[in-house]
Amino acid sequence: MIEFINVKKEYNHDVLALNNINLKIEKGDFTFLVGPSGSGKSTFLKLMIKEEEPTSGKILIDGKDIGKFKNKDIPFLRRKIGFVFQDFRLLYDRDVFENISFALRVIECSEREIQAQVKNVLQMVGLTGKEKYYPNQLSGGEQQRVALARALATKPPIIIADEPTGNLDPTTAKGIFKTLLDINSRGTTVLVVTHAMDIVNDLNKRVIYLDHGQVVKDEQKGGPKFDNENVFI
Amino acid sequence: MTTKMYLFKEGYDNLRKHGSKTFSTMLIICATLLVLGIFLVLFQNVNANVETVRVEQGLQAFIDDTATDDEIEYMQDEIKQIEGVKEVKYIDKDMAFEDAKQAFKDQEYFLEGLDKVNIFPASFVVKFNNINQSQTVKTAVEKIDGIYKVNYNEDRIQAVISISKIANIFLLGIGAVLLIVSIFIISNTIKLAVYSNKREIFIMRYIGATNRFIRTPFIVEGTIMGLVSAIISFILISIAYVLIYARVPQVGSSLGVFGFLPYTTLWYQILIVYVVLGLFIGIFGSAISIKKYLKV
Repeated sequence: MIEFINVKKEYNHDVLALNNINLKIEKGDFTFLVGPSGSGKSTFLKLMIKEEEPTSGKILIDGKDIGKFKNKDIPFLRRKIGFVFQDFRLLYDRDVFENISFALRVIECSEREIQAQVKNVLQMVGLTGKEKYYPNQLSGGEQQRVALARALATKPPIIIADEPTGNLDPTTAKGIFKTLLDINSRGTTVLVVTHAMDIVNDLNKRVIYLDHGQVVKDEQKGGPKFDNENVFI
Repeated sequence: MTTKMYLFKEGYDNLRKHGSKTFSTMLIICATLLVLGIFLVLFQNVNANVETVRVEQGLQAFIDDTATDDEIEYMQDEIKQIEGVKEVKYIDKDMAFEDAKQAFKDQEYFLEGLDKVNIFPASFVVKFNNINQSQTVKTAVEKIDGIYKVNYNEDRIQAVISISKIANIFLLGIGAVLLIVSIFIISNTIKLAVYSNKREIFIMRYIGATNRFIRTPFIVEGTIMGLVSAIISFILISIAYVLIYARVPQVGSSLGVFGFLPYTTLWYQILIVYVVLGLFIGIFGSAISIKKYLKV
């Protein structure tokens, strides 16, 4: 589903953000991407959605070399990837329904599809009945669920969550991960960038550890072996 | 709600969200369009007056007193056949004397006794189809037997034409400057709207919105501002023109005096120019503001 082949990314010819990245994330996988600040995680995500171009190498999404995509194709690449941000990125002057339907309008769904799909995703993230609430009437966890629902609404085959629990307390964070696992169990490929190592270790999922722009560890089952890694730097 | 309706509504909501900014932008665009409109009206009136001078002003060919009626008729036919001649009017000696009396209304003593021996020659007044053919017509008329002199006030006509040309260039220049100012003003307002919608645009780009989807609400916003300003300006200038028209001479009403065109011949031109400019200012002004936010 996601494949990086010999990917290198340099900024201004001397700052090496990613170096010789080779990895493959299969369809339906649940993968953690961890590493200290400045390790290249953000660059990794930006390359996936073609916000940045690799200096060299090839990136395949859903079997297609995105390097060959023209500017006009980029929106359609991004529709395959649902993005969840640490700071939720909700529209605070719109209610929950409008925040989610916004994503569906962008991909030009009909009104009937919008009504059905918003109801559907709200149920998936456990927010049924909150359609008319405004984001600031909701808790942080609930706001992140709305963001999750928005990412899911367009039924993307891939969900990327960039520090989804960075602003949440541990209990709420667990709830968010539970929802992400639930989404993954329905066949969606999930890639989570996180610093929440206790959860990473609990879940026993694949963990890719980036440092100084290189993959230093790639464990199919993350676990206590990560305990000693100082990933919070 | 279809996508088109949604995008239109977003654009309209933007206008309402920044009500006071929208209002002041439209006020400035209205003022610009009004100034442009005044110039346009002047432009049309100057041109209409020049045209009147061109059409009214013909050449006058004087006929030998010895010419018989048959010869005069023959001459008239000959002149009519010259290319570029629109009409030929015969003025006999009596009419020439009447014209002179009219011209010297206040100094009739000049003409005392002349009614007994009419010294005023008969003539043809020849009008042109096109002022550019005046020279060839003049030369051809001069060659006709029985015509002893041709009067043609070319200098005056050329002066009027060159004045109108300068006026036209001046008006076009002012128009272009005002147009640029309007585009600048509307693009600044749209920039503000784009800025306050930065969050939406960011999310839209991540969700996979096409450039068209992101751009359309802002284009709608600019277009509404341009169009509404155009309509308001049209109403204001129409009222002003009709009020002024009732108090000034009309074009061609008295020779030599600058006159105004009736509004019935002008309103649709103003409306078309306003609507086209309003749309152009709105669409172009908003398109240049949103452009830099559409990079992927």
